[in-house]
Amino acid sequence: MAQNISPEQSGGAGGGGSKHSDDSMPVKDNHAVSKRLHKELMNLMMANERGISAFPDGENIFKWVGTIAGPRNTVYSGQTYRLSLDFPNSYPYAAPVVKFLTSCFHPNVDLQGAICLDILKDKWSALYDVRTILLSIQSLLGEPNNESPLNAQAAMMWNDQKEYKKYLDAFYEKHKDT
Amino acid sequence: MCDFDALWADVLRIFPVLGGANAVSNDPVEENVFQNVRQHLMVLGSIDTFAAVVDLEIQSTIRNVLVPKFWKHIHDGLVSSKLQGWINDQALAIEALPDKNGLFTQFIDAINELHDSFQSLMQVKPRLIQLVGAETKPTAKTVKLMQEEGIKNCLRDCLLAQLPPNFSVVVGAFYWVHFKLFTKASNLALTTVDSDVFDELLCVGCNFEAEQCCCQRLTDMVNKTNMKLFEMNLIDRLTGSALTALIKLKIKEHISDTCMGIFDRSHLKQLETWLSDVIMSWLTNIFTEWKSKDSISDIEVPESVKSFKVKLTYFMYETFAQSVIGQFFSIIIDYPDSIPAIDDLKICMEKIDMRVYLTESLRNSLEARILHPGVNTMDILTGYVAAIKAIRHLDSTGVILEMVTAPIKDYLRKRNDTVRRVVTGLTEEGPTDLSEELAKGETIKECKDSGTDEFSNWENWQPDPFGIDASIMQYNSSRKMRSADIISMVVDIYGSKELFMTEYRNLMADRLLAQLDFNSEKEIRNLELLKIRFGESLLHSCEVMLKDVTDSKRINAHIHSDGDRTENQLFDISSLIVSAQFWPSFNKESLQLPEEIENEFKKYTKAYEAYKGNRTLNWRTVTGRVNIEIEIGDRTMEMVVSPILAVIIYHFQTKNEWTIEDLSSITKVPASALRRRLSFWQNHGLISETTPGIFTLLEKESEKSQYEDMSLAEADEEDLESAMASASDQREEELQVFWSYIVGMLTNLDSMPIDRIHQMLKLFASHSGGVEFTQDELKHFLQRKVREHKLIFSGGVYQLAK
Repeated sequence: MAQNISPEQSGGAGGGGSKHSDDSMPVKDNHAVSKRLHKELMNLMMANERGISAFPDGENIFKWVGTIAGPRNTVYSGQTYRLSLDFPNSYPYAAPVVKFLTSCFHPNVDLQGAICLDILKDKWSALYDVRTILLSIQSLLGEPNNESPLNAQAAMMWNDQKEYKKYLDAFYEKHKDT
Repeated sequence: MCDFDALWADVLRIFPVLGGANAVSNDPVEENVFQNVRQHLMVLGSIDTFAAVVDLEIQSTIRNVLVPKFWKHIHDGLVSSKLQGWINDQALAIEALPDKNGLFTQFIDAINELHDSFQSLMQVKPRLIQLVGAETKPTAKTVKLMQEEGIKNCLRDCLLAQLPPNFSVVVGAFYWVHFKLFTKASNLALTTVDSDVFDELLCVGCNFEAEQCCCQRLTDMVNKTNMKLFEMNLIDRLTGSALTALIKLKIKEHISDTCMGIFDRSHLKQLETWLSDVIMSWLTNIFTEWKSKDSISDIEVPESVKSFKVKLTYFMYETFAQSVIGQFFSIIIDYPDSIPAIDDLKICMEKIDMRVYLTESLRNSLEARILHPGVNTMDILTGYVAAIKAIRHLDSTGVILEMVTAPIKDYLRKRNDTVRRVVTGLTEEGPTDLSEELAKGETIKECKDSGTDEFSNWENWQPDPFGIDASIMQYNSSRKMRSADIISMVVDIYGSKELFMTEYRNLMADRLLAQLDFNSEKEIRNLELLKIRFGESLLHSCEVMLKDVTDSKRINAHIHSDGDRTENQLFDISSLIVSAQFWPSFNKESLQLPEEIENEFKKYTKAYEAYKGNRTLNWRTVTGRVNIEIEIGDRTMEMVVSPILAVIIYHFQTKNEWTIEDLSSITKVPASALRRRLSFWQNHGLISETTPGIFTLLEKESEKSQYEDMSLAEADEEDLESAMASASDQREEELQVFWSYIVGMLTNLDSMPIDRIHQMLKLFASHSGGVEFTQDELKHFLQRKVREHKLIFSGGVYQLAK
């Protein structure tokens, strides 16, 4: 599902972060992880990318809150979604747990906010970082994978974009403040 | 039965008081009269009642006759109504009295009269005893008169009960004169002034002409009066407060006379001797004079005088400390010379708690004297350094220093040239304290190392001074901070070494660019000294910069020695090759060189590329200097100018007239900057603006030569000034970094109060190489963003504007 990620982007951003970890063992101490997360945060802040953003939620650098804007020219355009990112101690060798905080009506997102995205599961690589994750999720909104839906209703409705948009807007209006 | 009339006459003879107020007589009374009266009273069984009646009568006489009579002398007219208002401030009132001698005599008269009456009243007592006899003693106890101090107490009570407000002024005047007499006497004893000198002057003591000096007479009068007051047991009660006020006034006068403005020697010893020699002996004189007539051997200092001394010593210390503190700013300014004064103050502060007063007063005077826009930053810094030294001498714990200098630091932080001035001060040769401090850096460090270990050095431990607000102490509880040396204190103004070092780097870059043949030894020495203090890592880039300069010289030499190149070149090029990574960022000015010149540069670049494979040069055409020779008409000039000036005049070779727009497009310099540069050539009389926007070359000489030297220097400086992006620009960039973090956190976390933003920035943004950021600074920054409509502030939290 990482089809929208350009290799150059992920390599560029991930490369800086994982530079110091290449020659060490995958089991890392907290310090190295938080150092990497600090660095990712800095890259993310400096990149100032439109439509995606994330920041630690409080003092703990292992818990972040992310914000993505619905991609333009899709039914999600004009909507913003909050996500939570929980980084494990073995990050970046294990993927963070990413969930939607704002309820999202989407074929690959269940009602609890869990996301079905391969790069967050079996296709995870240490080269990904917060930025690429958020970009992937953003593009997932516009291009769902209807083969393995978590939300069957959404998957079924997807084909009729007009109807889908109508339902989605009502759904978003109802849930956006949760 | 018997003759009551005769008896009453006898009674009256014994106790004239009973007959009326004015019937005071001292006629001796025969024993048989006493016998007669006693017998009759015994018979009547009313001898106790009689004693009581006499007692009452005496009291009423005191109350109704004696005391009002006495106070009549001190009537309102004595002290003019204008002075009445000052009565509250006795000292002032005493000083301002126009006719002290008049009051003096008035007082003496009043006391004499009172004493006479008192004497006659006192005669009543032995008579009553004689009358009543010894056997009736127990009953007599109830009668005041019979008690030891009965009449005295009664008199004192009555006097005090009717005390008029201006009385203390009169007493003050009395003692004022007395003091003058006394000091004159002791002065004469101490100093052996020629009597000739005195002859022509008025007598210091009595203000009469010296020939008719009546000091001795006056002194006698005073002593008598004192004696009488003492006899009546009034001296303490009646004159105490006036006396204290007077002495305080004298102490103040003395301190301001002898100590004002003199800081280079200690005054305390001298003051103490003065107090005991002059004031105390005077007091003793007042309180013991009467005794010396009774019993000459008994000259011990009375108890009241002793306790007085304690009080006065305290007061003297307090006054002195106040006077020193009042002048503390001047003390700071001439610090090394004013050490004795500070030592004095130190002793005073051990005795009296004046810290709060000191900090308050010092803060105020500093604020008034140096913390305003009219003062040079350099002067403020000098003041700051002197204050650090002086206050540290006073209080080695640094707590007072911390409190006093806080406003200076705050103020300096607001000045944008502070860092630059400090760095200049650190490196420049000259009379600045800072460079000296830097030079002795090492020694300080050693001392500090031994002092920092609090536990191994517990024997020298000293508690923090008291009387200081605990919250301030907490604010900076680290002892190490407080005992930091002067350089650290100065650097501490900005709270970070980094900013400091950045500015140092900028200044060094400017210097290096300004003087291509620079004095590397001095720079290296400075750098080494700074390294000791700030650590290698911060100064690494400065080292590289210095190395760049020496490397460039070598490379230049190498390229110049290349025979091929030198053959067909138009002019010599020497380059300064700087490693962009390590030098501060240059400002973003640009300049397009004319083609022929650019070609020369390309040649140089080629030579460099050949010499150092894999590397090339990016020319920064704005900085540097050009030796040019101008031939125009019958004139030739040789000068060293900045590239931009050279390029401008170069273009006038091909065309005599340029519009500013054309010139701007060919040189790629903005028109406004270009106009500024053109004025340099206008000053030199080579170019003139014939019509607005059009500049023409002047072939003919005009009388401009007197400007030349001056303008040349100006132009040089101007160019160098602008070569580097200033520290404040860099700070701006850092703020920009913080801003993206703030946007990031507010995007994701909606709204936050300022302390949380600050905390988050500290946690997450400080890694990005940004310098520390105080909450105040953040507040200003956020408020700016609110004004720019980037943020919304409501209910104590910040939010991104939608």
